[in-house]
Amino acid sequence: MAGETQSGMQCAEVEALLAEALDGVLHGPTLAAFEAHQQGCATCRSMVEEARAGMSLLQALEEAEPPRNLMHNILAQTIGALPSEHAVVKPRGEGWMEKLKGRLAPVFAGVATPRFAMSFGMAFFSITMLLGIAGFRFGDMRDWDLTSKGIRKAYYNTEARVMRYYENMRLVYEIESRVRDLRRAATPDNTQSNQPQQEVPATNPNQKNAPKSEIRPQHNGSHPGYSRDMGGPELASYPAVTLATNPQARQPSAPPSSFYLGGHLERRTA
Amino acid sequence: MDDNQAVNALVRRCVSGDAAAWQDIVQQYHRRIFNICYRFSGSSDDASDLTQEVFIKMYRTLSTFDTTRASFMTWVTTVTRNLLVDHFRKGKYDRITDSLDATPGNQEDGLTIAEQLEDRRASPESRVRSQETQKLVHEALRRLSPELREAVILRDLQDLDYKDIAKVLNVPEGTVKSRINRGRTELARLLQRTYKQVS
Repeated sequence: MAGETQSGMQCAEVEALLAEALDGVLHGPTLAAFEAHQQGCATCRSMVEEARAGMSLLQALEEAEPPRNLMHNILAQTIGALPSEHAVVKPRGEGWMEKLKGRLAPVFAGVATPRFAMSFGMAFFSITMLLGIAGFRFGDMRDWDLTSKGIRKAYYNTEARVMRYYENMRLVYEIESRVRDLRRAATPDNTQSNQPQQEVPATNPNQKNAPKSEIRPQHNGSHPGYSRDMGGPELASYPAVTLATNPQARQPSAPPSSFYLGGHLERRTA
Repeated sequence: MDDNQAVNALVRRCVSGDAAAWQDIVQQYHRRIFNICYRFSGSSDDASDLTQEVFIKMYRTLSTFDTTRASFMTWVTTVTRNLLVDHFRKGKYDRITDSLDATPGNQEDGLTIAEQLEDRRASPESRVRSQETQKLVHEALRRLSPELREAVILRDLQDLDYKDIAKVLNVPEGTVKSRINRGRTELARLLQRTYKQVS
């Protein structure tokens, strides 16, 4: 670049104004300064000529004719429709199904791809396989009554089944509790007959100071944990302490469990 | 109702699911988009594929078009240009392989580029009128860098103004003018250099 010339315009300014000059939008003193600079600057003159030639060559290029099937292919790939010479604009009051399809098509365009379809297919296959392993059969769904009445009926049936199960389990536990109480009531006779056997080791002076943990309870046919007077292990002695501190609990006349059992039987017979 | 309002109404109809409106849009713009792709890629087959991709992308993103930000023409050109740039970055269309001995269109009995440039009798303007010279300029256009090529295509072939080109290319208006000047100059020099090599 030759820098500033007598026109007062810099080469950089000429380059900046080149586009407008070629478009023919420069007027007045700016245009005069632009042309005056070219007269004195061979570099800028050459640049302007080359740019003008390039612009002429480009603008003389004719518009290329697209392939005939291009529009057909575009429409087939987007809306799946073929172009028609007389395109019929769908009336606004068309069926709601078509309207819904038209609205949903652009929204789900990204979802409706082969990759998503493949993923969805794999997920469906996995879920179906797991349900099959779990014993679920889709054929059984035909027997389902999904009306409000049917759902209500299924709810009450399920509730009654749960209640029956609960009552049955409660009966079993109460019978077990009753049997346990009967055993406990029979335990004092056995402990009295075993009393001398337990006192024999206590008279031995060598074992008098032996630790409690070394005294092994004598198994007398009943469960050791339920013998009241048995010494030694804490498990056997725990009920005796409890009974001593609560004299009312010694009343063998009516254990609480028998009351409930009787009540339950009364209710069941009623 | 001016053109912009008419096009915006067409777009709204299309977004609301009117297939006929979409067909009108394709009818109006497919030629223009094809020409941008053709001049940028240099191949009719590639341009056809790219044009289809542009319309598929437009169809999926038409609801994102904001009428307050730009005209629909600018938006369409931006979508086209971005897709072209993406493909160019992948290297798919970055092929400058023709030599001076190659014939345009790979015709065995056609004139080579060097032979076409030997005709010194006609002025540049008159040469452009001939079909062969058009092919020559088209080949020279492919040899420009992508930045200069897209600028001159949008200005000299698509007749967009500088402001719209700046929006499409996402560069300042001064940069657009500079690229257009350089693109035109480079094209003229490229043809001139080729001519000097063969003469």
